[in-house]
Amino acid sequence: MKARSIKYLTGEGIKNVWVNRLMSIASVGVLMACMVLIGIAVIIGQNVNRAMVGLEKQNVVMVYFNDYNSVMYPIDFDADDEMIDPSTITDDMYVVHNDEEGKAVAEKIEKLDNIAEVEYFTKEEDMQRFEDKKISNITDDVNFCSCGAKVTLKDLSRFDETIEGIEKVEGVYHISSSDETAEIISAIKDGLGTAGIWIIAILLIISLVIVCNTIRVTMYNRKLEISIMKAVGATDAFVRLPFVVEGILLGLISAILSEVVVYFCYRVMLETFIPSIMGATMPVSFASAALPIFGLFVAIGVVSGVIGSVIMISKYLRREGSEFKAYN
Amino acid sequence: MRVINTNTQVPGYEQPLIEFRGVSKTYIGGTHALSDVNLKINKGEFVFVVGSSGAGKSTFMKLIMREEKANVGEVIVNGYNLSTMKRKQVPMLRRTMGIVFQDFRLIPNMNVFENVAFAMHVVGAGSRKIRKEVSRALAKVGLGHKARSMPDELSGGEQQRVGLARALVNAPDLIIADEPTGNVDPNMSYEIVGLLDEINKRGTTILMVTHDHNLVRDFNHRVIMLDGGKIVADNAEGSAL
Ligand SMILES: Nc1ncnc2c1ncn2[C@@H]1O[C@H](COP(=O)(O)OP(=O)(O)OP(=O)(O)O)[C@@H](O)[C@H]1O
Ligand SMILES: [Mg+2]
Repeated sequence: MKARSIKYLTGEGIKNVWVNRLMSIASVGVLMACMVLIGIAVIIGQNVNRAMVGLEKQNVVMVYFNDYNSVMYPIDFDADDEMIDPSTITDDMYVVHNDEEGKAVAEKIEKLDNIAEVEYFTKEEDMQRFEDKKISNITDDVNFCSCGAKVTLKDLSRFDETIEGIEKVEGVYHISSSDETAEIISAIKDGLGTAGIWIIAILLIISLVIVCNTIRVTMYNRKLEISIMKAVGATDAFVRLPFVVEGILLGLISAILSEVVVYFCYRVMLETFIPSIMGATMPVSFASAALPIFGLFVAIGVVSGVIGSVIMISKYLRREGSEFKAYN
Repeated sequence: MRVINTNTQVPGYEQPLIEFRGVSKTYIGGTHALSDVNLKINKGEFVFVVGSSGAGKSTFMKLIMREEKANVGEVIVNGYNLSTMKRKQVPMLRRTMGIVFQDFRLIPNMNVFENVAFAMHVVGAGSRKIRKEVSRALAKVGLGHKARSMPDELSGGEQQRVGLARALVNAPDLIIADEPTGNVDPNMSYEIVGLLDEINKRGTTILMVTHDHNLVRDFNHRVIMLDGGKIVADNAEGSAL
């Protein structure tokens, strides 16, 4: 197609938006509603993600091994309890007899799925940690701690199965974790992800339907012009282009306006509920989110504009085809 | 597909602009609109197509414009075989013809000039050429002074002259007009056919359907008469009928 034809047809497309302005305003309104919802979902999602990253750093469990101390001072051992008589404890009552064997257990854990890092510690190191943290005020020289490993998980959403796997390793005695937080976080994240995808999919379909409908109205308004164009020898591409331009233009206008609306919405959100969901983490700044969100809006607008107009006009041209009802 | 005439060429023989070879058209539903039509129309002819209502005149025109496709036989127009032609090539065929509509088909929100210019935009003409050619076409139909008028400010005859200017503006080889005078008063009819006659004298082939016997009688041209989908009379030189 010649450059001047493209220029002419682009002008016609812009004119369509104006001539058909009531319909254009309506469809920009609906497109904007969809885009603003998507934009807000995205920006909340980004904040939640950022908050998660902070929490995910606690994605570490302490795995204690089945050594002498684990028998001597069981997990439910209390300072007031009567001591087990050390003479009754035999070697075959526990698995890990020394650090070599302890490291071997740690290596087995490291080979499991979804394990990011395993760091072996001796019972002395664990005791030291207790004293450092002043968790215990037992200052006598009895070390009641067990050796074990600090295990970091990769994917928090697979927390349960990973823990089960670790428990099955021979020589593992007890796992201590704040697994409730982990579960809640991964549930929220999964939920948001799935819901987000569905919301975006549904809104995209709505946008597409709206654009299709607007283009259809323009098309029927311009039926006469199309019939003359066909009669004079316009190619399908030529007939189609103004409608594609119209669709894209509606998408772009909606994208720009939506960006502005999302900016103001986010400002309100920052003053209201965002800080409470973020805790200590800094909320995402609009500036850093602005470009990806605008990109998304333009993509939604342009894609629904192009697809909508191409679907509608192709349907029309196929039906009315080369026939243009010249005569009855 | 542009057909190169491979027949044994007779010296001085010119390929006809339009040729029907054993053409039949049956609509979905079973109406036999045309059956076994054979004819040739040469470049530069002026042909009236007449016949009673339902005789197949409009169908005949639609086959030439490739608005309908023949079921049987071959329609060749301006070197294009319309039966084997791809949908994509139809625009190229249409650019060789100018179509005049019975109901004028002017775009109501465009003025006279823009209505005619529209046909040139469609074929990608430049704005300077458009200005020049549109003015010329409007002058030819005697409406140079109405260029800025809107269609609803014109009489039926004037509107049809705009339609004629639009058909002319791309300098087609052939003008197709199905009852172009069907919606205008008798005086205007003479004026419009007079214009077509002048255009024809400058070399453009004209194909016009009419019910008006006075027009056919007063303008002495070839007349093809259809009845029940068959050519029942044709006063062409050397015609078999
Ligand atoms: N699209 C169509 N579908 C089915 N039948 C059709 C169609 N167009 C025309 N016909 C039928 O084909 C026959 C010829 O129609 P056509 O329009 O060619 O007649 P015509 O000579 O132009 O008549 P008129 O003078 O009334 O315009 C008629 O019987 C008509 O009903
Ligand atoms: Mg007819």
